[in-house]
Amino acid sequence: MAAELLDAPFDVYRFDPAHEATPRYQRYALHLPAHTPVLTALLAIRAELDPTLTLRYSCRSAICGSCAMVINSKSRLACQTPIGPELARHGRIVIDPMRNMPVIRDLVTEMRSFWTNYHRIEPHLKPNRARPPPEGKPNPMTPAEVARFQETPRCISCAACYSACPAVEADPMFPGPMALAKLYRFVVDPRDGATNERLARIQPEGLWLCLRCHLCTEACPKGVRPSERIMDLKELAIASQGATDPGSRHALAFKENIREAGVLNELKLVRQTSGLPGMAAQLGQGLRLAAKKREILKRPKPIEGHAEVEKLYEILDREEER
Amino acid sequence: MKLAYYPGCVAQESGRELDMATRWVAGKLGIELVEFPNFSCCGSGFIDEANPILNLALNARNLAIAERAGLGVLTICSTCQGMLALANNRLGDAVVKAKVDAALAQIGVSYGGTTRVTHLLDVIVSQIGLDELRRRVVRPLTGLKVGAFYGCHLLRPADRLGTDSAEEPHTFEDLLGALGATPVMYRGRVMCCGFPILFVKEPTANRIAGNQIDDARAHGAEAMATPCPLCHISLDAYQNKAEAAVGHPLDMPVFHLPQLVGLALGATPEQMGLPRHLVSTKGALARIPGVALSA
Amino acid sequence: MRRHEVVIVGAGLAGQRAALAAVEAGRDVAVVTKLHPMRSHSGAAQGGINAAVGAEDSVDTHIYDTVKGSDYLGDQDAIEFFCREAGPTVVEMEHFGTIFSRADDGSLARRPFGGAGFPRTIYAADRTGLALLQALYERLGTESFTTYEEWDLLRIVVREGRVQGIVAIDRTTGALEEIAARSVVIATGPAGRVYGRTTNAHSCTGDGIAIAYRAGAELKDMEFVQFHPTALLESSILITEGARGEGGILKNAQGERFMARYAPHVLDLASRDVVSRAIITEIQEGRGFPGGYVHLELMHLGRERIESRLEEICDFSRKFAGIDPVTQPIPVMPAQHYMMGGIGTTIRGETNVRGLYAAGEAACVSIHGANRLGGNSLLETLVFGKQAGTAAAEYAARAAPPLLHESDLAPVRTRLDALSAKSQGEDPQAIRTAMQATMDGRVGIFRSFAELAKALEELRALKTRYENVRVVDTASAFNLNLTDALEVGHMLDLAEVITVGAIARTESRGAHSRTDYPKRDDAQWMRHTIASQSREGPKLSYSAVAYTRWDPKERVY
Repeated sequence: MAAELLDAPFDVYRFDPAHEATPRYQRYALHLPAHTPVLTALLAIRAELDPTLTLRYSCRSAICGSCAMVINSKSRLACQTPIGPELARHGRIVIDPMRNMPVIRDLVTEMRSFWTNYHRIEPHLKPNRARPPPEGKPNPMTPAEVARFQETPRCISCAACYSACPAVEADPMFPGPMALAKLYRFVVDPRDGATNERLARIQPEGLWLCLRCHLCTEACPKGVRPSERIMDLKELAIASQGATDPGSRHALAFKENIREAGVLNELKLVRQTSGLPGMAAQLGQGLRLAAKKREILKRPKPIEGHAEVEKLYEILDREEER
Repeated sequence: MKLAYYPGCVAQESGRELDMATRWVAGKLGIELVEFPNFSCCGSGFIDEANPILNLALNARNLAIAERAGLGVLTICSTCQGMLALANNRLGDAVVKAKVDAALAQIGVSYGGTTRVTHLLDVIVSQIGLDELRRRVVRPLTGLKVGAFYGCHLLRPADRLGTDSAEEPHTFEDLLGALGATPVMYRGRVMCCGFPILFVKEPTANRIAGNQIDDARAHGAEAMATPCPLCHISLDAYQNKAEAAVGHPLDMPVFHLPQLVGLALGATPEQMGLPRHLVSTKGALARIPGVALSA
Repeated sequence: MRRHEVVIVGAGLAGQRAALAAVEAGRDVAVVTKLHPMRSHSGAAQGGINAAVGAEDSVDTHIYDTVKGSDYLGDQDAIEFFCREAGPTVVEMEHFGTIFSRADDGSLARRPFGGAGFPRTIYAADRTGLALLQALYERLGTESFTTYEEWDLLRIVVREGRVQGIVAIDRTTGALEEIAARSVVIATGPAGRVYGRTTNAHSCTGDGIAIAYRAGAELKDMEFVQFHPTALLESSILITEGARGEGGILKNAQGERFMARYAPHVLDLASRDVVSRAIITEIQEGRGFPGGYVHLELMHLGRERIESRLEEICDFSRKFAGIDPVTQPIPVMPAQHYMMGGIGTTIRGETNVRGLYAAGEAACVSIHGANRLGGNSLLETLVFGKQAGTAAAEYAARAAPPLLHESDLAPVRTRLDALSAKSQGEDPQAIRTAMQATMDGRVGIFRSFAELAKALEELRALKTRYENVRVVDTASAFNLNLTDALEVGHMLDLAEVITVGAIARTESRGAHSRTDYPKRDDAQWMRHTIASQSREGPKLSYSAVAYTRWDPKERVY
C-alpha cells in the first residue's frame, strides 16, 4: 500500500510565554502521503525532527477531543484532518493553537474559561419530580424522546466551536456554543425537571448573544450542530419564558414588525426593541445617517397581498399571543 | 436572463444605494429584474428565532410567488439568500412541510419546492461568467486592494445551503479579480459582522465588526466589499462605534458588491450611491484610475 | 505539600466511580489525572456494557459466559459478584443521565456480542464509553472534591508498610508536587502502547501499574493481552465488535466467510481471541489480502442501519481509511486492545500494599482471566471502581495520618534533573519505537519460546539504553519530551513483565497462545501468574484460581 509522498511544509506556532516575548512560526519540511492526518504529521515532527514541539493529543480517533487546533485558520481536530486537501488549497499547513483561550505553550491552551462556561449551565440531571425514576429500573424513554437530543450526545468537548466563535471572542458573557448545546441536551431530557428554570436563567446569561453565524456548526468535528441547537433553545426560551432579554424582545419585535406591513419598518423596530431610551441612544447614529440622506424615517407601505401574511400569522402565531 | 428580483427590506429603505447599484449593474449585464410587490420580508433570522414555522411559511410563500411565475429568485443580501435557501432545505423534511402546507393552503398558496434562489454574486460568477464580465470592464479597479466580506448566511450552514466551500469560499475574490482589483485574503472574511446583536448588545456587536475590519486591514485591505446590506450597516454605518469598541480609528471604506461591479463597468460614484456611505470612499476611489472624485 | 484523605489517580470511568464512592463515604478526595477527565480513554469504548436484564437472559448465563470466555482463569467468586452487580450498575448510570439507545418499548436496547449466550450488551449507539463517561462526569461534578488535572503520577510513597501519599508533576507548569494521602486508588488504565499496533490511545502507557509495581504491588496475569480482531488497517483504530453484533461478517481474499472453519456455531461472534487467531491464520496461510489483512463487510446491512447504529464506525472509516462501509468492505487486522492483567486486587480493590487500591483496566481482580468478553470492561470499571473507592474510603477513615516528608520529593527531583542534565543520551521516542517493534513482532497473538526469549533479550538491551535516556527540552511547561521519557520507562518495565510471564506459561489459554505448547494445561497452569519487582527483574510466583460452580471444559464456540 505504498502511497505517493507529498512535499508537506508545516509552519507551526511556537511560543513559551514563560521564556519568550513573542510567538514565532517554525518551518518543518515533511514528505507524507496525502491521507496522513495532521496529528500523525505533528507526531512525526516530534519523533524525528523536534521533540520540543508540544501539543495535546490522545486517542487519535476523534473521540477524546484533545487535539483541537487551528489548521490553516480553521478550528479542527488534528487527528481527523488529512494533509492532502490542506496542501492542495494552501500549499502549506499553518498550525496555530485554538483561539479565544490563552496559550500555555506552543499548541497547548489554557481551557479554563471553556470549562467554566460549561459548568455555568449546571450540566447534570436534576431529577424530574413529576416523573421520578422507577426504583431499581431504568427510566423508560421512547426512541422519539431519545431523538429529541438530536446530535448533542456526539459532543466530545474538544472546544473547536469555542475557538471558532466570534461572540466568545468579543464578549465573556457568552457561554459559547458547546455549553449551550449541552444546555439544550438537558432542556429536552424528559428525565430532567429543571427545564423552565434552565431556560429562565440562560436568557439574561448570554443565550441571545449567539450571532447565528453557524461558524460553530462548520467547526464541529462531530456534527453536533451547536448553532441549530441554540436556535432551538431560543424558540423554547421564548415559548417558556416570553421575552425577558433584549435579544428575545428583539426577535419578537421583529416578528411583530413584519406582521404590520409584510416588510420591515426600521424606525419602529428600534422603538419596539429598545423603547424610548434605546431610541435616544440611537439618535446620534440616526442623525449621521440622515445627514447622508438615508431614508431612516420612511414608513413602508404594506406589501400587496399583505392579508395573506396576516393570515399566516393568525394561523401559525396564535400561541405567541400572550 | 430573467429573474424574480428580491431586494429585501434594507435595500428598499435605508440602504437604497444597494438597490440603485443593483439595477444599474443588472441593466448593463442584461439581467431582467422582474418585480413582485407582494414579496414579504425574509425574517432576517429573527422570526426564525421567535417562531421557526411562521418563518418557513412566510418564505415558502415568497418562493411560491416566484414559482408561479416560473422564475428563479435573485437576492442581493446574504441574509435574504440564506433565509430563502434554508427554507427550501428545511421544507425538504416531510413533517415540517406538512405543517407549512396546511397553513399555505388557507391562503390559496402551494409550495412546490422548485424555486432556485441565487445571490447576485453567484449569478455573475456562475451564470454570466467572469470571462464575460472581464470583457465588459471599462475601468478596471487596478491597484485597489479589497477584502471580500461574505456574510454568514451566504455560506453557512453549508450542507443545508448547498454551498460547496463554506470554509474556503473564493467566488467573491474571483469576482474582484475579474474587476481588476486585488483581493485580500484574511480570516475575518468568512466571520460574522456582529449585526444580529446590534440591537441586543451594541458594544459587543461593534467589537465584532471592529475585529473583522482590523483583520482585513492587517492583511493589507484598503477597502472592504460585502454582498450583504446588513453587514454593510455593521461595517459602514456603525464603523464609528466599532472604532470606539476596539479603541482605535478604522477608516475603512466598505462597498456593496454591485457598487464595485458598477464602477468597473463605467458607473459614476453618484450612480452607485457612494455619497450615502458613512465612511468616505474617496480615498479608495482615488486609487482607481479614471474615477471622478466628486464622491 | 497538599493533603487529602483519599487520592484517586486516573479519571476515566473507574477513577471517577471510585471518587464518587469515596466522596459519598464522606472522605476528602482528590483526583489526580494526566488528562482532563473527559479525555480519558474510557470514552473511546464503543460497543456497550453487559447486563443480563432481558427476560430470556439470566445472571447465571452471564456468569457462565464470562467464566468460559476467561478460559477458566477468571476467579469465579469475583465473576459472580461482578455479574450480579451488572443490572444495578447500568440502572444507576441511566439514573445519572446516560443517554442509552432504546428499544421501541422504551426499555434499554441490547445487541449481541461475541461469546455471549444472549443479546446482553446495552449501548449508546457506538459511543457507549463516551455516554457513560459524560454522565458520570456530570454526576461527580455535583460533589465536592479536588481535581489535579494534567498531573502525572511519579511515585507512590510507601513507608512502614503502608501508603503515605504520592509525588506528581503538574504538566502545565512543570512543578513537582507532593500529596499526602491515607489511601491511594490506581485507576490509570492500561499499557496498550507497549505495542505499536494497538487500538489504545497514545496516553495508555501504564503509568499507574508500573509505579505501583515499583512501590511493591504485585502484578497479576500480565501475559494475557487481548488482541481485538477488527482494527482499521494502518491506524489500528478500533472497529467495535458491535459491527459484527449488528451482522457484519469477515471475509478473506477468496471471498470466503472463513469463521465457519473456526467457530461453526457462532461464526463471526466467537470470542475475540478465537477470531483474532483465525484472521492471523488466514493471512499466514495465504488467504489474506496483499499486505496482510481481511475484510469486514457491513454493506448487506443497508445504509440506514449502518449509519444509525454504527455512526462512529462510519465516520472513522470514511475519515481515517477513506472507506465508505455502506458500499465498501473495511480492511481490518487484529491489534492489541486490552490487558486482562494488571495490579492484583481483591474483589474490594485491595492490593498487597496496605492503603493501595486499584480498579479498572489497571487492575486484575480477576474476572477476565485469560480472555475478556466484549461489553465486560465498561462494566468492570464501574463495578470495581465503586468497590475500590468504597474500600479506600473505609480504610482512610481508620488509618493513621500519613507520614509524607518534604524529602520524599528529593529522589524524584534528582532523577528528573539527571534526565535533562546530560549532554548526550538516548532519545525516549526511539526507545519506544524499538520496544513496540519487539512487542508487535515477538509477543503478539501467536507466541513461542524462541521469539519470547529473543524479545526479552531485546527488552533488556532497551532497558540498558534507557538508563542513558536524555530529555532535550528545557522548558518547564508541558514538556512532552519529559513525559515521553517517563512513560517509556514505565512501559519497558511492563513489557518485561508481560514477556517473562509469557515465557513461563508453557500452555495456550485464552489470549495467550503458544505455538510450542498449543494445548491448555489445567493440571499445571490453572493458576494466576504473580509478578513482583526485584533487582533481577520480575520475580514470578503463582496463586490459585477461585472456583465455585463451573468445572473447566474445552472452549468451543
